[in-house]
Amino acid sequence: MNALLELRAIRAAHEGITVLHGVDLSVGAGQVVALLGPNGAGKTTVLHVAAGVHPAPSGQLLFGGRDMTGADPRDLARAGVCLIPEGRGVFPNLSVRDNLLMMTFTGRSREQIEEVAFARFPVLGHRANQAAGTLSGGEQQMLALARGLATDPAVLLLDELSMGLAPLVVSRLYEQVAEIARQGVAVLVVEQFAAAVLGIADHAAVLVRGRIERQGRPDGGLRDELSALYLGSSA
Amino acid sequence: MTPTEPLPDSRDPRTDSRADRFVRELADLKIPDPAAARAGLWLRLGGTLMAVGLALAISAYFLSHNTQNPLDQRDGLALGLGGIAATVVGAALFLRYSLTGFLRFWMARQSHDLAVLADRLLERDLNHDLTSTDAAPR
Repeated sequence: MNALLELRAIRAAHEGITVLHGVDLSVGAGQVVALLGPNGAGKTTVLHVAAGVHPAPSGQLLFGGRDMTGADPRDLARAGVCLIPEGRGVFPNLSVRDNLLMMTFTGRSREQIEEVAFARFPVLGHRANQAAGTLSGGEQQMLALARGLATDPAVLLLDELSMGLAPLVVSRLYEQVAEIARQGVAVLVVEQFAAAVLGIADHAAVLVRGRIERQGRPDGGLRDELSALYLGSSA
Repeated sequence: MTPTEPLPDSRDPRTDSRADRFVRELADLKIPDPAAARAGLWLRLGGTLMAVGLALAISAYFLSHNTQNPLDQRDGLALGLGGIAATVVGAALFLRYSLTGFLRFWMARQSHDLAVLADRLLERDLNHDLTSTDAAPR
């Protein structure tokens, strides 16, 4: 499978401190790749580099085999790279419907966006006129996903989808993510809590102190090894 | 392989179409060289033009003032006007590229402040709803 998103030897820094030391990662169309690791490992920076919002002084960022290092993040977003940041990027004082309305800048009509969003997340349809800030954490995350899907993404970058949510809600959200991937979207998920995302991931990588320590299919021994490494104990 | 034979790797056509469309759209994008850092270059150019233009205008004044030759004085005038023009252009470039960064930051700050205010108001409303007694007629 050709990689839709590929990071090659990416190095990145925050205020002069190097946080990524040559990260290699690729995500194919229809594939879910989980990037796991402890807090401060550089996972979010990987996503920001992939979305073009954080510069990578060395290494290459490729989309569909084309070197897009240094591309404007707005151009990448317009083409189909969608980053859903940590912390449910919704407007809390706007209703669900108005939050979705904000995505009409993509050129899609309100009806089209609502049709897709409410079909995928029926609960949002029931709460269409409710202020987004009054939704439960899971529903807010659904709204964030729905807003992302309104951009018709080809590459979806998810940051800590499970943050502050109950395990049952997280597993339902990841079912939706798997469904989105089945439609051909390349999905890169960053997670601190491995269990939820490993169930749907085709490939997993563990990032420790800015380096990919292990990666492969999250099944059998590798799955145990990934968990052990992530938890900081020997397998 | 004839065109009627099935493909060995029969992937979802939607997968191919979205990925293909994505790659096609990216192919049309023009990517600026990140090493070029054009904004910084224009900012430095604006600052330099401003300083050089000012120095040119002042030196042109002394050039025309210290001679009685009308030809030299006209040269001084032309040089002085050129210097002022360079200063104006330099100032415009400098303001354009220094203000952009500042305004971006200012707008982000405004947006953040509004979101925080909205959260606070919403929290206050929720607390009010929870603590207030139901005064509705029965």
